[in-house]
Amino acid sequence: MRYWEDIKVGDTAILGSHTVTEDEILAFARKYDPQPFHLDREAATRSIFGGLIASGWHSCAIMMRLSVDHMKREQLAGVGSPGIDSCRFVKPVRPGDTVTVRTEITESWPSKSKPIGFIRRRADMLNQHGDVVLTVIGVGMFQRKGEPQPQARRADT
Amino acid sequence: MMVPERSEGGMTDLLYFEDVKVGDTERFGRYEVTREEIIEYARQFDPQPFHLDEEAGKASPFGGLIASGWHTGAMLIRMLNDHSIPRAATSGALGFDDLKWVKPVRPGDILSVETRVLDKAESRSRPEIGVVKVESRVLNQAGELKMSLVSIILYRRRR
Repeated sequence: MRYWEDIKVGDTAILGSHTVTEDEILAFARKYDPQPFHLDREAATRSIFGGLIASGWHSCAIMMRLSVDHMKREQLAGVGSPGIDSCRFVKPVRPGDTVTVRTEITESWPSKSKPIGFIRRRADMLNQHGDVVLTVIGVGMFQRKGEPQPQARRADT
Repeated sequence: MMVPERSEGGMTDLLYFEDVKVGDTERFGRYEVTREEIIEYARQFDPQPFHLDEEAGKASPFGGLIASGWHTGAMLIRMLNDHSIPRAATSGALGFDDLKWVKPVRPGDILSVETRVLDKAESRSRPEIGVVKVESRVLNQAGELKMSLVSIILYRRRR
């Protein structure tokens, strides 16, 4: 396993790529974000976006999947996230786009109360033209070397 | 634009930038969180053990199966779609700030939303648009705060 101590400020990575299909965009939109420009090709053509685009929350979900796959490959001992500082839907993601996520670690600090450490990470999602489509700056929590996994919290606390 | 100038039946006008007041609050939504949906979302987007499997969840710091935080965000946008978005003259969102995953969302939670308008400003570069910051708080049936964020929404201005 690789722990909080193994992650350094300035580290960069390419997490992976994913080609977004129209079916995926429609399925996500039907379930979670049924705005016309995410859901209906005809309506989307007449919208300000000029065609079908993925929900921003779908792009975030794709970024998360690429991040989890990367964490597993790198055997990183991640234990979740307390939150996101900022998320910007910079450009639309359209059917057929191949998106790639690139990350940089910008900050690192240990928890004062738990056997974990925090990192702050900037993640940019780019399309096949090299345009940034999504930027997420957020915090991740990782186990520390030689420390047991943090204790289970009770469901009612 | 896709949003009709009046809602179905013409009973209510759409809310434009000028109609939004700082301090406006609303409560709405009902989203029943199921084990099946938590696992379905996690398989596709966030396959970490504590989102996929009850036993793995028990062995984790979370003490049981919990929803992906991004799944909770997706449930929030669904509740906004079912209430606020069709009534607002918006042109999408720039994104959000200050997302906090305060407590895990678990099977059996029934979620609802509280929104509050924090700030509004005319766009300098686009005179037809105003930028509105809205805080959304996701709560469960016991009133526990699960997640909060501040959306940055583009409202159209009345001509």
